[in-house]
Amino acid sequence: MELYEIIRSLPSIDGPSVRIAAAEPMPRAAIDPERLHVVVEAGAAASLVVLHTQASTASIELEAGEGASLEVIEFFAADAFAEVQVRQAAASRVRLTTVEAAGGNLRCTTELAGRDALCETNALLLAGSDEHTELTLRTNHLVPDCKSRTQVRGVAGGTATAVFRGLVYVAPDAQRTDARQQSRNVLVSDTARIDAQPQLEIYADDVQCTHGATVGLLDRDAILYMRQRGLDESQARRLQLAGFVAELLQECAPEPLCAALREAVESRLSQL
Amino acid sequence: MSEEKEILENLAEEEYKYGFTSDIETELIGRGLSEEVVRLISAKKGEPAWMTERRLEAYRHWLTLTPPTWAHLDIPEIDFQEIIYYAAPKPKKRLDSMDEVDPELKRTFDRLGIPLEEQMALSGVAVDAVMDSVSVKTTFRETLAAQGIIFCSISEALKEHPELVRKYLGKVVPHTDNFYAALNAAVFSDGSFCYIPKGVRCPMELSTYFRINAAGTGQFERTLIVADEGSYVSYLEGCTAPQRDENQLHAAVVEIIVERDAEVKYSTVQNWYPGDKEGRGGIYNFVTKRGLCRENARLSWTQVETGSAITWKYPSCVLLGDNSSGEFYSVAMTNHFQQADTGTKMIHIGRNTRSRIVSKGISAGRSQNAYRGLVRVGKGAENARNYSQCDSLLIGDRCGAHTFPDIDCRNRSAVLEHEATTSKISDDQLFYCNQRGLKTEDAVGLIVNGYAREVLAKLPMEFAVEAQKLLALNLEGSVG
Amino acid sequence: MLKITNLHAAVEGREILRGIDLEVRAGEVHAIMGPNGSGKSTLASVLAGNEKYAVTEGSVEFLGRDLLALPIEDRARMGLFLGFQYPVEIPGVTMANFMKLAVNEQRRFRGEEPLSAGEFLKLMREKGKVVELDAKLTSRAVNEGFSGGEKKKNEIFQMAMLDPKLAILDETDSGLDIDALRIVATGVTKLHTPENATVVITHYQRLLDYIVPDVVHVLYKGRIIYTGDKSLALKLEKEGYDWLINDYAE
Repeated sequence: MELYEIIRSLPSIDGPSVRIAAAEPMPRAAIDPERLHVVVEAGAAASLVVLHTQASTASIELEAGEGASLEVIEFFAADAFAEVQVRQAAASRVRLTTVEAAGGNLRCTTELAGRDALCETNALLLAGSDEHTELTLRTNHLVPDCKSRTQVRGVAGGTATAVFRGLVYVAPDAQRTDARQQSRNVLVSDTARIDAQPQLEIYADDVQCTHGATVGLLDRDAILYMRQRGLDESQARRLQLAGFVAELLQECAPEPLCAALREAVESRLSQL
Repeated sequence: MSEEKEILENLAEEEYKYGFTSDIETELIGRGLSEEVVRLISAKKGEPAWMTERRLEAYRHWLTLTPPTWAHLDIPEIDFQEIIYYAAPKPKKRLDSMDEVDPELKRTFDRLGIPLEEQMALSGVAVDAVMDSVSVKTTFRETLAAQGIIFCSISEALKEHPELVRKYLGKVVPHTDNFYAALNAAVFSDGSFCYIPKGVRCPMELSTYFRINAAGTGQFERTLIVADEGSYVSYLEGCTAPQRDENQLHAAVVEIIVERDAEVKYSTVQNWYPGDKEGRGGIYNFVTKRGLCRENARLSWTQVETGSAITWKYPSCVLLGDNSSGEFYSVAMTNHFQQADTGTKMIHIGRNTRSRIVSKGISAGRSQNAYRGLVRVGKGAENARNYSQCDSLLIGDRCGAHTFPDIDCRNRSAVLEHEATTSKISDDQLFYCNQRGLKTEDAVGLIVNGYAREVLAKLPMEFAVEAQKLLALNLEGSVG
Repeated sequence: MLKITNLHAAVEGREILRGIDLEVRAGEVHAIMGPNGSGKSTLASVLAGNEKYAVTEGSVEFLGRDLLALPIEDRARMGLFLGFQYPVEIPGVTMANFMKLAVNEQRRFRGEEPLSAGEFLKLMREKGKVVELDAKLTSRAVNEGFSGGEKKKNEIFQMAMLDPKLAILDETDSGLDIDALRIVATGVTKLHTPENATVVITHYQRLLDYIVPDVVHVLYKGRIIYTGDKSLALKLEKEGYDWLINDYAE
């Protein structure tokens, strides 16, 4: 599979613990890690790709120092269980793109512990056959002026269940927090299930916190448009759904990784 | 009603206006709960044997349960054996008209500002006044009876329309539903029973007033509303309660059955004693409210909650029938040390069902205010539609506002949309008002009113005005 | 090519088209004009096959077949193209991807082999020239973030790609500035051949300066009340619709 090949060709992470002190041009890869601890030191930049090919457990700790930048791509090609803890210092930027494409259970807690930190999470839950796919996110705004952006899209077919729980916690002194969360979901079979629970727990007042969750909200007019161009209803729906999912992966990683990821996702989508 | 508005307008101090106790002789059964107490309650009410059995079944089930703790609430432990489960003013004799009402009782009603005579003369609202677990009198019974509308206390209904009560009681909220529903089913003291016959449009808004009087008495109201096919009724619930040092538990159950093509509007303005500024005392309001909708039926819940120390309720709709619809409009305000965990459940089962949720939370002081909601769409709920908007407004930086929705869908043709926003009143808005000459406190009142407008607009007019005043009242001392 | 006989159509119980008769032959350009609310867009939607509208009476023959019996996509595959008045966005779906699918669908319908990736790219470049299309737009999501002018150009680009037998352009000129109008109109004219036909629905005359019609119809309250040649359009521009309505509408 192209995605696998590309990931395997990337430099791997030596050992369960690594510190990155400078800006790294290439992403580093970890395949089925049991434990992983990555520290991106102040001012450095790194990207990481984690691939799960076995139904095993992974415990991952990520730290971004002051002003550091970390991009993480996590792909579940198996029903693995991953616990990810992210700790961000001031002015750091972490972007996590995760695709659960074969069952899978990801629990990710992000602590925004320094001011002006930014946390972006883009997640795709693609659940089919009788899979149970779960995503539990917790974003803790502990200090003022941090931003978090979470976008989760779920597609469930077969007799699968996709569950998303996302808690945004804002501590009493975390003023000027800007937290936005969106969960959009589509069911593609009569026997699948989506359960979305976006949550806000807010103890500071000078904040902007929003969340939204939808199921089945796709533009009917777009289907009409595509049919007028000669696509039948099911072709149009499939194309629209592919777009719905692809939107989340725009510029998620350097090429050719990004294209390979999009292809893997499209291929998975066609199986649902 | 107008007298009550006046009272609210004059209220400027923290002391809860209705903090008084009337010295009416009340007959109390000793503290604590046991099978004997349950039997005694049933016997005192002269209930049929099947009702006593049901109470016992509920009590036995309650014994197997423990109080739930999953809410975002800090609930001090309740000693259920310290509560008095039955208190009724001793009736002097059977009452036929207001003139024969116990004068002490009548004075109590006057202080509450709801003189029944004025009610009768001016607003045309039928009032079922509940005094400490026993209904005193229902007015307008004759007028309603002419249309076949039954509006009386549950106790009376059990005597005069037992077959109706038996048919519907416990159908929407069975005693197995939850801990407090089981307790209520065992010891419910009284409440309203309302039946609207087929095709009848109830000509007036029906309403109920509550008061909890005797110390340590839990108020276990049970309300059952049945709107038969094609009928319509608008029901108002408004509460007041006296000041107490020990917390008072209010575990009511409201069941509504909306038969096909019928419509029920249930509005609540709740202003129960919230505890003092230090967070002492105050009512615990743990209520189970649920309605069942059949084909083409419509149920709408509107609530303005400003009182109680702890509010825990989820007025819900079970949309069983095809094309049925449910609505939930809520303004929940908490101040000082109040806590609220409230919201709704919309259960879509039939086809082409619709639900709409608009929740506006306002947190001030050191309170905690949580919205909790469930929109569940079953496998067969073709074309279900839901729209939810849950907003929270924070006033001051020592309170909390929380949102816990659950969107659970098993049907691919359903379209569900949920949005939530939490913020404080913007400085820009305040500055704008200040610049136009309004002082900040008034500006906040104005803005909060605008914020709650969509919900207040759903209330019957008399209630809407009282609600607006309640909101403003509860904001006092929260700004600055 | 197209024969509409006594067409009646309604939406939500309200009748909009109240007996339309129209014949379009290969090589012709027809213009349909009329005041707002006369049913022009409805006619376009009904011909395209939008299920929101119910045909209550009448028939439509397209290339010898009963058009009304066909679903939207089959009408399109047969060679009927609708240039939408309000083209929608399709997030995440690139123009290139969309067009590739549509073009190959039509080819499959006609029993032709699908285009290879290389052949398709070549086709896109070639057809993009017709409307001076910015090549970058093909890798963006369909109509997403496009200006009004770009959306309309995109419609004509798609028309160029799909090479329809009959193109119905619904208010293609609305919201366009002079330059965009020129490009769109020139594009339409370039695509016109003796084998295909175009129906231009427009409220204003200016588009018809570029796309010269053979026949001009005036639609009013769901009926064609007058038919003339291109000079009619000019007269309507100068004198409005009142004179026509007074004399010819019932």
